[in-house]
Amino acid sequence: MIAFDFKYFKPATAEETCETWNEVQRQGEKPMIFSGGTEIITFARVNKLYTDAVIDIKGIKECNVLELQENEIVIGAAVSLNKITDSKLFPLLGDTVKQIADRTSRNKITIGGNINSQLIYKEGVLPLLLVDAKVKLAKKKGEEVVPLQSIFDKELKMGPGEMLLQVIINASAVDLPYANIKRTKFSKVGYPVVSVAALVKDNQTRVAFSGVCSYPFRSHEVETILNDSKLTISERVEKVIGHLSSEIIDDLQGTKGYRIFVLRNILLDIAEELGMAE
Amino acid sequence: MINKVFTTVGKPEGRIDAVEKSTGKVRYIGDYSVPGLMHAKLVTSTQAHARIKSIDTTEAWKVPGVRAIVTGEVFPYHIGPILADRPPLAFEKVRYYGEPVAIIVADHEYQAKLATTKVKVEYEPLPIVNSVQQAFQTDAPLVHENAGSYTKIISNVYPKTGTNIGSHIKIRKGNFEDAWENCEETITADYSFNLSDHAALETRSTRVEINPKGKVIVHSCSQSPFTIKKVLNQFFNVEVGNVLVHIPMIGGAFGGKGTVQLEPLAYLASKSVGGKLVKLEMDREEDMTTSPCRIGLDATVQLGATKEGKLVAGKYTYLLDSGAYTDQAAGITRAAALDCTGPYDIPNVWCDSYCVYTNHPFATSFRGYGHPELTFAVERTMDQLAKQLQIDPLQLRIINGIKPGHTTPTQTVLTANNIGDIEKCINRAKELIHWDEGQKTVSGKNKVRSKGISTFWKTSTTATNAEAGAILTFEADGSVNLNCAAIELGQGTKTILGQILAEKLGMGMDKIHVTMETNTQYDPHQWRTVASSSTFLAGRAVISAADHAIAQLKNTSATVLQCSTEDLDIGDGRVFLKPDPTKGVEMKDISLGYTYPSGHTIGGQVVGVGKYIQRHLTPMDEETGFGKPGPWWSVGVQAVEVELDTRDFTYSILKGVTVLDGGTIINPMTATQQMRGGMYMGLSYAASEKFVFDENGVVQNGDLRTYPMLRYGEQPDQYLVDFIETPAVDGPFGARGIGEYGVIGAPACLANSLSIAADAELNQLPLTPEFIWKAKGESGL
Repeated sequence: MIAFDFKYFKPATAEETCETWNEVQRQGEKPMIFSGGTEIITFARVNKLYTDAVIDIKGIKECNVLELQENEIVIGAAVSLNKITDSKLFPLLGDTVKQIADRTSRNKITIGGNINSQLIYKEGVLPLLLVDAKVKLAKKKGEEVVPLQSIFDKELKMGPGEMLLQVIINASAVDLPYANIKRTKFSKVGYPVVSVAALVKDNQTRVAFSGVCSYPFRSHEVETILNDSKLTISERVEKVIGHLSSEIIDDLQGTKGYRIFVLRNILLDIAEELGMAE
Repeated sequence: MINKVFTTVGKPEGRIDAVEKSTGKVRYIGDYSVPGLMHAKLVTSTQAHARIKSIDTTEAWKVPGVRAIVTGEVFPYHIGPILADRPPLAFEKVRYYGEPVAIIVADHEYQAKLATTKVKVEYEPLPIVNSVQQAFQTDAPLVHENAGSYTKIISNVYPKTGTNIGSHIKIRKGNFEDAWENCEETITADYSFNLSDHAALETRSTRVEINPKGKVIVHSCSQSPFTIKKVLNQFFNVEVGNVLVHIPMIGGAFGGKGTVQLEPLAYLASKSVGGKLVKLEMDREEDMTTSPCRIGLDATVQLGATKEGKLVAGKYTYLLDSGAYTDQAAGITRAAALDCTGPYDIPNVWCDSYCVYTNHPFATSFRGYGHPELTFAVERTMDQLAKQLQIDPLQLRIINGIKPGHTTPTQTVLTANNIGDIEKCINRAKELIHWDEGQKTVSGKNKVRSKGISTFWKTSTTATNAEAGAILTFEADGSVNLNCAAIELGQGTKTILGQILAEKLGMGMDKIHVTMETNTQYDPHQWRTVASSSTFLAGRAVISAADHAIAQLKNTSATVLQCSTEDLDIGDGRVFLKPDPTKGVEMKDISLGYTYPSGHTIGGQVVGVGKYIQRHLTPMDEETGFGKPGPWWSVGVQAVEVELDTRDFTYSILKGVTVLDGGTIINPMTATQQMRGGMYMGLSYAASEKFVFDENGVVQNGDLRTYPMLRYGEQPDQYLVDFIETPAVDGPFGARGIGEYGVIGAPACLANSLSIAADAELNQLPLTPEFIWKAKGESGL
């Protein structure tokens, strides 16, 4: 049970959402965008989250789109993870989000909610970073499409009153060879000790990580090392680990030493799966 | 009675609660609401060990709807089932993170919950006791300053003032020291078993009202209705007859609902609002840390044997982490001692079993009552000893298996009736796990498969005067109502008791109506629904009630049929003449009294009353442990086959085997499911479950977001269960208890198989890939 009272709004348009947001703020209150609600509900009931008003975006048409539009795959922020997997529109994304929580939760968890999660994992963002996805944002003065990477640094950086409406993926990216491996503490359902998504484009391996550091990321330095054909695969993996080492986390899911061990194995497995040349 | 061909006993009858449960129509305690119901929520401690300097409730009172705030000084006394050492609400100091400090009573649950966040408790931190090893050190901080002064509720508990010892149980059988000196082969090893949560689907919940006449009416999801009466009487001075306890169907308990924790709190809450009906329902997070959990165990096992592998001497040191209060951990300390050896015949036994206070959440009974823990330590040692002796681990177990004629650690003499056949269980498990095909095989690149095995045993350490009763009433159609105080908590006890009754009366299960709810006002006394004892205790009571009813039915029939009662038999809804079954009378015509065509009546309604009380049980001698603690020992064997990735140490459990000798199995299908469920639970906490504490004793993973457990679908692919049925003459139709047994050997056999696969001695739990990785590192990878 959630102990505090809060207001609930369900606007029908992005414009109305921004207006509601601003109006709540003008009254000195704290609004929050509500999509699947899994985090808001579970954190609010243990007093780890507070909001004065939730603004539900599931009534906005654009947020519920899931389709191929000409040469772009468009996914609304309020589309559930299960729908994305079941649509098979973007297999790497489908496979990656299928590893989040359990199926019942994924009926509710949305891609927008996952990207904006309070948790450090946000695994849904990994494939999007790899394919240079774009995001459509609702802003005060209308909508804007920008590259995801331009506003994603550890988390999605949006201004006050801005909101994620859609993610847009170039359809040519979905046929690229990919691999994704997630390792948990034990059960299949759980937070990642290490989760890695990778794909190959123009003979270059791209790779993004979750669970390794306290944020999900795709790093060009890491990719440069991984694609350095002067080194053996094993040397590249060690160099990547060395590069990331200072930021590798130590928590309930696994110690730092164990994470390094797991990361090493996963990178070697991915190199093998993607047939990375020595 | 066990030579007859049974019609219902031994058959896979459907569970009588299956339809209600599968359609979601069962109403649990928390589902109930009524106008005027008030809600209580707990303010819990944010510190593991601290003096309470002040509690400021000013802001909490400002929350609308708040009607009362109760703090510890309202009831500054200690309660407990074995040793009275726990204040229901902390006063003066808190001893674990999550301990109840205050109760808020409000009109609505959200108001009470909001108000709990507004109570400001000022603490003065005290040094933390964060492990049993630390607790045992001479200069350790004390969790209880004066443990020796607490009131003992039952015998066999020995707290020591000036230490963190809540109890110390000794076993002295034979002469360990001399025997140890002369052993040809010895082994000593240390083990550690983590604390974990019961995680029953239904969180604990209760509601209490005190009516204007002074009757205290309790509704609760408890395994111990009569203990609730006892506690409210003993510690709160309510006349025992004025406490009325109702228990509906329970959504899982596993021993965790045997503790009387919430009912006294809800009683104080109700009292604070003039006796109004107050509901106290735990959130999952409170259920995990505020309510009691499973004990932890640190153990040292020493075994001495001949070169041929015959065990000669065994020494067992068990340090049980009972957390802040002894509760049932004091009883578990005793249970661990009296079965300390596992099912082996050892002439010289020395055991020190300590109940150790720490600043962890307090522990209570959890399916197995100390046995999964001791079995892990014993069975790991057996495997290591076998390796040392170069004997097949199964052979070592067969050589030493305990049998009729042997004595247990407390020197109870075993007979053909009070112990199952361990050797038969081993041999059956050996077939099912295909032991002879090799204990370890390479199954692929970086993949090995290995098999591990564990024997186990357990007796039901009930109170020496534990008893049960049953009452049968009849309907006009000749069908029967069965009332007794065995609690249905998902284990299927009501179905089993129904089957026992159906068998006795020669009726179909469709004519047996078992009352699901328990009401202490009309159900006869039953000790508690714990310790795998209900089939035995309540089953015997049902048999006795059935005999009582049958005698009445035959009496009436004998008059109607003009014959002697000896000429009559009962079955298929009739009482009939043995020599000519066509001559008889329908049950429906006699069960409420027989009416002649003239209108005259005879017999009156049939009311069957039956009871059973334990016989010849004794407490244990303080110095040697000598005594008879339980009526029988069920024995069994569990085995798993795992596939381990030797590169990354991930593994999967391919096959699980359970073979149990539980005497006659009343219902093979529910028994099989119970073994599977038990094994799954044991594998889950052996593989992943563990409460993690920071250096301040604060639980780091007290919610299901971070507390790791196996999920549905992660059970072994093959899940084989079989039974050896060595009947127990005094059990109902030859049955012994089986409820807890499926869990007992699971952690040990998983650890044994993984130790073989990983080629490292894995003597701690949980067996996560990270732990195996670490163990491999330590052994020099």
